[in-house]
Amino acid sequence: MLLLILGPWGVTFAADIEDLTEQGRIAFEPCLSCHALDRSTSGMPGPNLAGLIGRPVAGDTGYAYSPVLRAAGDRGLTWTPGRLKQFLADPEAMFPGMWMSYQGIKDEREQESLAGFIAGHK
Amino acid sequence: MNRREFLTVSTTAVAVGALLNPSALVRAAENQTGLKNARISYFAARPGSRSRDVAFAPDGAVWYCGQRDGTLTRLDPENGSLHAVSLGEGAAPHGVVLGPDNAFWVTEGGQNAIARLDPATDNVDLIPLPTEFSRANLNTGTFDLQGIYWFTGQNGVYGRVDPKTSAIEVWASPGGRGPYGITVTPSGEVWYASLAGSHIAQIDRVSGSARMVQPPTPKQGARRIWADSRSRLWVSEWNSGQVSVFDPETSDWKTWKLPGDAPRAYSVYVDEHDGIWLTDFGANAIVHFDPDTEIFTSFPSDMPNANVRQMAGRPGEAWGGESGTDRLVRIQFDPA
Repeated sequence: MLLLILGPWGVTFAADIEDLTEQGRIAFEPCLSCHALDRSTSGMPGPNLAGLIGRPVAGDTGYAYSPVLRAAGDRGLTWTPGRLKQFLADPEAMFPGMWMSYQGIKDEREQESLAGFIAGHK
Repeated sequence: MNRREFLTVSTTAVAVGALLNPSALVRAAENQTGLKNARISYFAARPGSRSRDVAFAPDGAVWYCGQRDGTLTRLDPENGSLHAVSLGEGAAPHGVVLGPDNAFWVTEGGQNAIARLDPATDNVDLIPLPTEFSRANLNTGTFDLQGIYWFTGQNGVYGRVDPKTSAIEVWASPGGRGPYGITVTPSGEVWYASLAGSHIAQIDRVSGSARMVQPPTPKQGARRIWADSRSRLWVSEWNSGQVSVFDPETSDWKTWKLPGDAPRAYSVYVDEHDGIWLTDFGANAIVHFDPDTEIFTSFPSDMPNANVRQMAGRPGEAWGGESGTDRLVRIQFDPA
């Protein structure tokens, strides 16, 4: 109904969001080897990412983080949508020496879609 | 675990790592048990390269994956010189192994391909994975006794390449996501470890099917795997901070916790004396384990966040890439 009221421009916008969500889901697939987005999942090789936005860096209390991320959390850094997107572009540049070896994403739209997908799992 | 002892190597900086290589620092290890006269040297890798998995050339050089600079780079340990070869646009190499063709075979995750680098010419050939296995998150490779290259991908795949034809076959792993380290035993079996799946698996080299074997500790995070001279499988467990050994002949497991408060066993390598080398991210150390005496000997890095993600070796030497410091580390030792 909303789409009809907005007309073709609105339809395009809604489809775009849907597309971004699907892109984010696909972009997250390799991450699933180490991370879960479901709060009930534990014992993964990497921290649980449910509810990441607003959480301190190194804030999964059930996970033993690298000294680099623990230090960032101790400095009071928290995850914001902007920080997450910047992190996904080049994690090693933000936190050199962290344990995760992930090269990051060059494509800005993919960064955005992956950041949005992770942030959407509260 | 019946008995376990732990020694931290007392080290004394004795010399700058040879006049030939000003970047190397040699330390003498004393009073440790399980190996004698251990000497640690560090070699500078390319800045920003995030040097990780290593392999050895017949000429004595060490080649490492620069996961962040997209190269396979040759280090001459005699003089510390470096020679980098780009693996292509967007390359992010993870694992490397020397093939029977004297070329280096690389799990090239950035291009979702197996890369073959001929060190005689620096020529690089790519063997892409089939399109249905995009984003495989390629991890580690090994050659079996018939010269077939086997590899893993963390996104739930494993596969093989026949170097004679470059024909590639890929399978979905039975336990889903997780295939990580891979090894071939002296008896010719191919096994991989599944980090996310917390199991090890044997690949049938004819059919390509995989048979999962569960370690005794649930959710242990089996990360890397290496065979000893008796074809037993040694497994580094990331989540549990343990090292385990599995004997395929008897199906028996034995497990030891690494020393320290919060060990994280990332990699495992078995040397020519069946000494076990591990890397522990929790302790920022390389750890030697003597299965006969059950003594661990720890070699902490002299820099924080060393992050050695793989070890390999040759007689009298164990090597790793300090991905967090852009260095390679060598421990020379004599048999105990």
